[in-house]
Amino acid sequence: MTNVNGTGTAFSRRHILGAGLALSAASVKPLRAQAPVSLNFAVWGNRAEEDAFRRLIAGYTAQNPHVSIRLELSGSSGQLYQQVDTRLAGRQAPDLVRIQYQQVGRYAKAGAIVDLSGHLDGGLAAQFAPALWKAVTYRDKAFAIPHHTDTLAVYCNMEMFRRAGIELPRRLEDSWRWEEFIRIARMLKDKAGAPFGFACAWQNTAAYRFLPFLYQNGGKLLDEQLLQPQLSSKEGLEAIAWAQSWFADKLVPPTTSIKTNEQTQNLFANGTIGMLVHGDWQIPFLQDAMKQAEWQVTYMPRNVSMASDLGGNCLAVTRDSKNRDVAIDFLRYATNEANMRDFCVAAGFLPVRRSLMDTKLEYPLRPDAMQVFVEQSRTIPDHLAATVTLPDFSRINTKLGEQLDLAFTSGQSPKDTAENIEGTIRSVLKG
Amino acid sequence: MSDSAVMASSVRPATAARTRRSFRRPWMLPYLLITPNLLLFSAFSFFPLLYAFYISFHDWSLIGEVTYAGLANYRRLVADTQFWHALLNTAVYAVASVPTTMAGGLLLAVALNRRMPGRVFLRSVYFLPVVVSAVATGIIAAWMFNEHYGVINSLIVRLGGDRIPWLSSPAWALPSLVIATFWVRVGFCMVVYLAALQSIPTLYYEAATMDGASPYRQFWKITLPLLRPATFLLLILNVIHSFQVFDLIYVMTGGGPGFSTTMLVQYIYQSAFMTSEMGYASAIGVVLYVIVLGFTIIQWRVSRQSENVL
Repeated sequence: MTNVNGTGTAFSRRHILGAGLALSAASVKPLRAQAPVSLNFAVWGNRAEEDAFRRLIAGYTAQNPHVSIRLELSGSSGQLYQQVDTRLAGRQAPDLVRIQYQQVGRYAKAGAIVDLSGHLDGGLAAQFAPALWKAVTYRDKAFAIPHHTDTLAVYCNMEMFRRAGIELPRRLEDSWRWEEFIRIARMLKDKAGAPFGFACAWQNTAAYRFLPFLYQNGGKLLDEQLLQPQLSSKEGLEAIAWAQSWFADKLVPPTTSIKTNEQTQNLFANGTIGMLVHGDWQIPFLQDAMKQAEWQVTYMPRNVSMASDLGGNCLAVTRDSKNRDVAIDFLRYATNEANMRDFCVAAGFLPVRRSLMDTKLEYPLRPDAMQVFVEQSRTIPDHLAATVTLPDFSRINTKLGEQLDLAFTSGQSPKDTAENIEGTIRSVLKG
Repeated sequence: MSDSAVMASSVRPATAARTRRSFRRPWMLPYLLITPNLLLFSAFSFFPLLYAFYISFHDWSLIGEVTYAGLANYRRLVADTQFWHALLNTAVYAVASVPTTMAGGLLLAVALNRRMPGRVFLRSVYFLPVVVSAVATGIIAAWMFNEHYGVINSLIVRLGGDRIPWLSSPAWALPSLVIATFWVRVGFCMVVYLAALQSIPTLYYEAATMDGASPYRQFWKITLPLLRPATFLLLILNVIHSFQVFDLIYVMTGGGPGFSTTMLVQYIYQSAFMTSEMGYASAIGVVLYVIVLGFTIIQWRVSRQSENVL
């Protein structure tokens, strides 16, 4: 081959890249099974998450050329669970699944995901945040590996805030008290022209996002031992009544109760609300949808204590996987320190490895906003994390959503609401 | 020639001869023709139906083991206020949506059966929602009924009225669904009525006109009675549709606010996929099956009696 000057052999970038790939492939320690292996990996997520997953898969398959991984993307976590459950019933589930911490117990209890304890190093548990490792553990055995976490904070439309003359708290310790939060919501309506003060993203299957408000008021859904309901306490009734008053006082759009398909991020983007209680994964959408409007993120309101929601997901291998060793090897790869950092930075999530939790990550998109979520994540109560990761929490969550919706839209009293939820909790805990 | 080839060559003529003999027996041909359909029906309708009966006597989370529960799911159903609420909602929805949709379809069919400019275009416009995905029409309807930026409230406000909380008020949510159903289903009723109208011989109208019958009287005495088979067909189809409605409501209201728009199928879905109680969901499904079957039998008998009278 001659170069453009005709002086001899030339190495193009393609040749160098090819040689590099060949060298790196040769240097990779081969897995036990070298026969072609194909895995299916079911996830949901926005474009940033999808891209991050594809990069993860590309990295793994470059190191393991005999493995191919097909990414199956669902529109939402709810859709993914329906599809995975149905395929589990037909013994055709994907090899790998992304699941929320709240769902681990349900799948583990049914034997639908694989017990990983015999496949993982003994010291692995100590490398993760204790609350999240506990969330992937069922009867002292790990059934998934934590991948990332996320939490709730308050998005603020700064144009409206300036019009109303409101300043944002600069430190977590200075976060708004409940009365102050309500006063600001009213000011946004009265002085800044916002049709509504705020909205909370707890629609459909996300009724558990009510719990931070309960904990902020010193209440709990269950007692310390997680054996009895405790929502009918004074603190519990006050928290329900407080959320109910948002709707009665028209501080939130009436369409943002729980049993609705309203997309609250759209209401924030189009100026219907001045504040939005939502998670860090909305940053890419809002950055794209609100190019002309400035927005910031501040901390969740608090009453007697601070609290936010346990969000995030872990990765698991289903019982139908015919290549469990390779699938588990991929889980280890996806959750190692470097890949967890890359995924969290690219998709806007918070890491769950201890070594990364105290490190300041270089988020390319709105690092200022991500810093608020990082700080807010330290306020997730351990008791809340233990509650929402109970094996049968999905049944409690459905009842929580139904009854809170009745309180918000039909005027059901906080006492009746709490008692109805407690009735379901008792029957679920009984067995 | 290998042994298998020899066998194949001896088998093929015998098989062909059998097939020829089969076709010579006239009674076999219909069965042969319906076999593909029967197989598909069995695989996707009949077997799942039987399996739903079986599962209704069991507890099953879909991802775990199936355990026998006897009549527990049916006993629970009798005492479940949410089930009765969903059944009542479904009945109210059927009573409100079926007659209005059929009446609208009939009016449109009569209007668009006449020669008029843009007739084909108007027929297409009314029929369009029928061929569009129910999820898409649900999303469009949800936008139209949105309290803040929906086109319906925007029109009401421009006309001097107040915003109506269509989808967020328990009192207005069901009427919103009935209106949306009218929009989605009226085109289907219109097409069925149009086909029926065009099959009525014109000589009846000519004779009636000669006898001095007014158009109004012709409609009541000729058109309406002769549309009875089409009306019966639409009644059955629309009632079944209203008892099976899901996607439109799932997208528009999610069964809320509260339980105000929770229908039977919505409740089945919720039990099956949100609380993972497939046995209980199947028990409700069996009840829904019995209701629809019962309604079909009653209507069928009434129709046959009417035909005998005529």
